[in-house]
Amino acid sequence: MKNYYSLLISDWNAVIKKILPNYSIYAPIKENDSLDYELIDLENSSNISYNLPKPTTPLKTFFLPIKENLTTKLKSENKRIIIGSPNCDIQGLNILDEIYLDKNYIDTAYKEKRDNTILISTACFNTQEHCHCMTYGIHPFPKKIADISLSKVDTRIHLEVLSEKGEKFITSIKDLATISESPESEIKDIELKQSKIENEIISKNTGLPDYKKTGKIVSKAKDEIWKKYSSTCVSCGACATICPTCTCFLLIDKPNFEKIRQLDACQYPGFERVAGGEDALGELPKKFKNRYFCKYVWKPQKFKSLACTGCGRCIEACIGKINKNEIFRELAN
Amino acid sequence: MSDKTNIYKPIKAKLLEVITESPTIKTFIMEPQEEFSFKTGEFIELTVDGIGEAPFTPSSSPLETKQIEVTVMKTGYVTEYLHNMKAGETLGIRGPFGRGYPVEKFYDKEVLILGGGCGFAPIRSLLYNLAAVSDKLRKVTLCYGSKTPDECIYRPYVDQLRETPKFEVLRTVDEPNESWTESVGVATVLLDKVKVDIKNSIAVCCGPPIMMKFGTSKLLEMGYPENDIYLSMEKNMSCGLGKCGHCMMGKYFVCKEGPVFTYDEIKDQPDIWS
Repeated sequence: MKNYYSLLISDWNAVIKKILPNYSIYAPIKENDSLDYELIDLENSSNISYNLPKPTTPLKTFFLPIKENLTTKLKSENKRIIIGSPNCDIQGLNILDEIYLDKNYIDTAYKEKRDNTILISTACFNTQEHCHCMTYGIHPFPKKIADISLSKVDTRIHLEVLSEKGEKFITSIKDLATISESPESEIKDIELKQSKIENEIISKNTGLPDYKKTGKIVSKAKDEIWKKYSSTCVSCGACATICPTCTCFLLIDKPNFEKIRQLDACQYPGFERVAGGEDALGELPKKFKNRYFCKYVWKPQKFKSLACTGCGRCIEACIGKINKNEIFRELAN
Repeated sequence: MSDKTNIYKPIKAKLLEVITESPTIKTFIMEPQEEFSFKTGEFIELTVDGIGEAPFTPSSSPLETKQIEVTVMKTGYVTEYLHNMKAGETLGIRGPFGRGYPVEKFYDKEVLILGGGCGFAPIRSLLYNLAAVSDKLRKVTLCYGSKTPDECIYRPYVDQLRETPKFEVLRTVDEPNESWTESVGVATVLLDKVKVDIKNSIAVCCGPPIMMKFGTSKLLEMGYPENDIYLSMEKNMSCGLGKCGHCMMGKYFVCKEGPVFTYDEIKDQPDIWS
C-alpha cells in the first residue's frame, strides 16, 4: 500500500501559512532564470516552485553552514522544513551522515540540524543540461532519506510519506485542511512522469561511465589528463562549494577556546600544507586531480555512500568551463 | 578525555614548565584540568587560545596520567606563539586521536627505532612505554639523527637510556663540532652499524619526511617485511576526527586511521612522503 496523501494547492498554501509560526520553512522560488531557496513568509508562500531541478544552493548548506561557531551553544532554532530539494541533493546527505554522525565522534552541531529538519523533497519533472543522477544509480525522485516526496500535479499536491517523521508531519496537518489519500490513477500519473524523466536523463548521458567504472578510470588516468583539464582552473573552489557532498572544513580559533567551522576545499591553496612547508597539493594539476581521486577512488573505498550524486552543479559553476563529464567521456574511450 | 558532548571543545591544561631542548625545540609540561590519558603514538590537538590549533604526539609516558608533555619545533604560526608561552598560562587539549603504536605486537621481539630531529618526541613516549615492559622485549635500539650536536634533544634522557639494560642508543649528526664523538652523517648511516636479528625484530620510523623516505627504503633493503615497519605519518591533521579532510592520504584519514601505519598499509597511497 502506497502512503500517498493529496490536497488542493490552495489548501496546501493555507497549511503553509498556518504552520509558519511553528517552523522556519525554506523552499525554492524562481526568479528570472534562477531558482534558489528562500525563507518562506506569508507573502511569498504561494510562489514556491515545485518539481524543478535544482536550487542553486546545495542542500548541505542547511546542515553545514559556510561558517558556524561549534563551541558556543546557540539559542535553539525553530524546527525547520525544507521543501523542494531534488533527490541528488537528498542522496548527498548520505555521505554527510556517514561522516558527521559517525558513532565514535558525533558532530552535535550537524546532528541537531538534521534532527530538527523535516525534508519535503520533490520529484524532478524536468531536467537541466548537466543532470546525470541516473548515471550513478540515483533516481530523480526520492525514496529514502527525505521524509516526504512532494509532487504537484494540476491543481493538487501529492505527499508521499517516506519516514516516520514524515508520517507525523502529515498527521499534524490533517486538521488544517481537507487531506485525502491520493487516487491510484494520480499515483500512476506521477510514476509515469518520474519514469519519463528517468529515461530522459539516461538517454542524454549515454556513454557516460557509471560509478562502478569511474574509480578505475580515474586511477588509470595519465597525468597529462589532469594537466590538460586543469589548465583553465583558477582554484576558485566553486566546484567544491556548490557540491552536495564536498564537506571539508577549516577550524578557526577565537579567544576563550572557541572553534569556528568554515567550509574549506582541497582546491584552495595550502589545503594540505603542513607547518614545515610541505604541500602535497601544491601544484595545480595535483590539486585538481585530488578532487577526482577523492570522489571516485578514495571515498568509495571508505564509505558506503556516493561522493558524487550527478547533480552537475560543478559543471555549471566552473568559470574555467571545465566539464567533468567531458573528462569521463574522454577517459572512457 | 575531550568533552564527549562537543568533540570540538578543548579541555584546559595548565602549563607547568617549559624546557628548552635546542635552539628551535621546546618541551611543554602541562597539567590537564580534567581526566586525560593517551596511548603511545596517539596524538592531541593543542590549542593556543585565540591563535590556532596544531597536532602533536605527546613525548611523555602514556603511563603518566597527571601530566602530559609535548615537544615542539618552532616551525609555523601556532608553534611560534607556543614558544613564547610561559609557565602558568593555559592551553587547550583535544583528543587523544588516532591509532598509536601496537606495543603488544612488539613483545618477544627486538625493536629497532629510527628517529630524526623532532621525531624523537613520539619516540620518547614509545621508549618510556617500552622501558615499562622491557621484561617482555628482547632488545631496543634507538638510532637517532639530528643536524647538529646542539639540536640533539633529550640529552639527560639519552644518558639515562644508555644505562638501562636491553636499551642501546646510537646517534649521528650531519654537521659535527669539535666535541662530538659519535657518528657523523644522516640518520640512516646508523642502520649500517646496528646488529639486529631481523626475523625477530620490528622497526619504527619517525622523523622528517625525507628521513622517513630513505629510512624506509633502507629498512626494506635490510630485509624488514613491509608489515613490520611502523611509520608515524605527518599530515595536516586538523579536526582529529576524520571529518575535515585536511589529512587525507589516499583512502586514509591520517588522523583517524593513523598516524601510525605499517608501510604495507600505505605504500600504494599517493604523496606519503610529502
